[in-house]
Amino acid sequence: MIINILLVADFIVLAIVMAWYIFRTLRERAYLRTRLSQSMQLQQKVYQAQVLKEISERIGYSLDTTKVVEIITNSLGNLLPYDTVSYMLITDNSAVFKCHVENSVSHEFIEEVKDKILMAFSGILNLDVKPSRFDESVTGNLLDDNVRVGVKSYFNLPVFIGEKLVGVINVASGQFGRFGENEASILYTITNQAALAVTRLQGVLRSERGKLKAVIDSITDGIISVDLSHQLLVANPSVREILEIAPAKSSEVSDITMFDIVDALAGKTDLRTKIDQALAEDKRIFVPDVVLKNRALEINITPVKNEIGEKVGANVVFHDITTEKSLEKLRQEFTAMMVHELRAPLTAVRWSSESMLKNLAQATGSEPGKVKDTLVTIETASNNMLELVNDLLDVAKIEAGKFELNSQEYDLAEVAKQQVEVFKPQAEVKHLALSLSSPEKLKAKFDRIRVSQVLGNLISNAIKYSDSGEIVVSLLVDEANKRVVVGVKDTGIGISREDLPVLFSKFKQLKSGDRSKKGTGLGLVVSKGIIESHGGQIWVESPGENLGSTFYFSLPN
Amino acid sequence: MAKILVAEDDKLISASLCDALKSQGHEATPAYDGEDAVAKAKEIKPDLLLLDIMMPKLDGISVLWELKSNPETKGVAVIVLTNMGDMETISKILEAGATDYLLKSDQSIDEVMKKVRDVLSRDIKLS
Repeated sequence: MIINILLVADFIVLAIVMAWYIFRTLRERAYLRTRLSQSMQLQQKVYQAQVLKEISERIGYSLDTTKVVEIITNSLGNLLPYDTVSYMLITDNSAVFKCHVENSVSHEFIEEVKDKILMAFSGILNLDVKPSRFDESVTGNLLDDNVRVGVKSYFNLPVFIGEKLVGVINVASGQFGRFGENEASILYTITNQAALAVTRLQGVLRSERGKLKAVIDSITDGIISVDLSHQLLVANPSVREILEIAPAKSSEVSDITMFDIVDALAGKTDLRTKIDQALAEDKRIFVPDVVLKNRALEINITPVKNEIGEKVGANVVFHDITTEKSLEKLRQEFTAMMVHELRAPLTAVRWSSESMLKNLAQATGSEPGKVKDTLVTIETASNNMLELVNDLLDVAKIEAGKFELNSQEYDLAEVAKQQVEVFKPQAEVKHLALSLSSPEKLKAKFDRIRVSQVLGNLISNAIKYSDSGEIVVSLLVDEANKRVVVGVKDTGIGISREDLPVLFSKFKQLKSGDRSKKGTGLGLVVSKGIIESHGGQIWVESPGENLGSTFYFSLPN
Repeated sequence: MAKILVAEDDKLISASLCDALKSQGHEATPAYDGEDAVAKAKEIKPDLLLLDIMMPKLDGISVLWELKSNPETKGVAVIVLTNMGDMETISKILEAGATDYLLKSDQSIDEVMKKVRDVLSRDIKLS
């Protein structure tokens, strides 16, 4: 009985020990399983990180989609057992297909891979993708049609850059079950992260390019950039305007071409040759005076090098010098006019004095009347010349800011009255009435000689440009604006609308210029300078040609 | 003694030219613009025209064309007075049918009178 009891007790102990043992083993196993899975996860992470690092290092800053996909493809190939690794890129209607063969497969195998990739494209894009053109290349081991094995396992990795599907990477094998879901998902992550990095880089670059483009587009000079084969890389909007290239007919093809540019300059300068010259001589080429239909240009061609000093192309800047040229032309015309205006009285003085000397020598010109006439000619010519030279001197002083005034308080009414009296005889010769409308006294502070000069100039112009009617000089006080205003109104030839704004400028070109009325127009330039030095204003009003005009000037009061 | 028309818009130059011509015994008539010059040429049929280029209403070259295309005035000898000494203007002047030209400010009145004498005597020889 006791033995029985002991046996039972032993059995119980044994059972307990065994149960404990089993329990321990199970617990240990569970623990080990957890540990194992943790270490696997860690391994996967390390593996993923390594692949990513490798890919990103190899991608560097490349934004060339083909290159990026190629790098990813090659990296995947190193990490997996496979028979072929391929990628396909599709743009518009053409596709690029590259395949690396690790173990010999048949042509059929490759075709199968292609179909699988196209199916992936069609599936992702939800449309039937059938490129009309294939650019294919197969590298690695030779194809062998005796290997009668089809694609047994494969996976496709779509590569998105930004929102756009740029390509599909395919890894294929002739054996079943080569690629587990786990591996595929890791590779998805890798590809996505690589693509994301590129997307970000593209974004940064796009924003930088955007900034640069905004700067280039806002420049008024025309700027283009070309590569070594004269392909146009950059052209800002000013190019079209400066080169007078007609806007594109269709809005879809608004981009300017190198052909447009070369064509616009045809017969003026051979841009391509100049670019080649700049590249060959490795120096800036300057083309000074290219005259197009409505514009004159300067062209600067500068060779462009990359970071390692290789020539990669050239930048061309088209600078519009139309304004400079027209100013230069005006200046030349002005000089020519001045010379002409000075020569006329000089010739008269010279010829008159020569004739008089001759007549005196021959004692035939002894008639006092004739001598007097000749002397009058000489005197008038000399005065005209002196006036001209004085005006020129005044303009020079005004422009140099060295115009000095001797302002004191005077009676403007008295000054005006005096000038009207001076010009009465000239007005009478042309049967013009010259009158003054003014308060009894009008005190103001001004340079008496200079303001008399302005008044004289305006009255003399009024006489010169009127053939009939009257000239009225009027003075009034503009209390609201604390100034006195002098007006000289005539019934003469008037001033056309387009001439009004240029009347007081030195290099003026009157559209309706009447050459019968001699004069340089410097009088008005000087008058403007004098009045503005007083802090006043000078202006003109005219209803139009042949409708008379009124010149005004104001002086602060 | 010849009938000479002086087409010159600058009154002072015109006066000194006319003075000089008169003291040489010629009959000098002034015209102060291009249209006036054409009208007076037709009216008085001068032996010689002294013609300025830069004139109002009608420039000297147009006057020349007009006179040369009219049978009545075709034979008038013309000396063009100009300040524009460039070859282009000069060839244009001679092409238009001027007998001779002279640069105003480069010549003395004596030289002008000599040219007048030359052209008049050449003209007489020709006719």
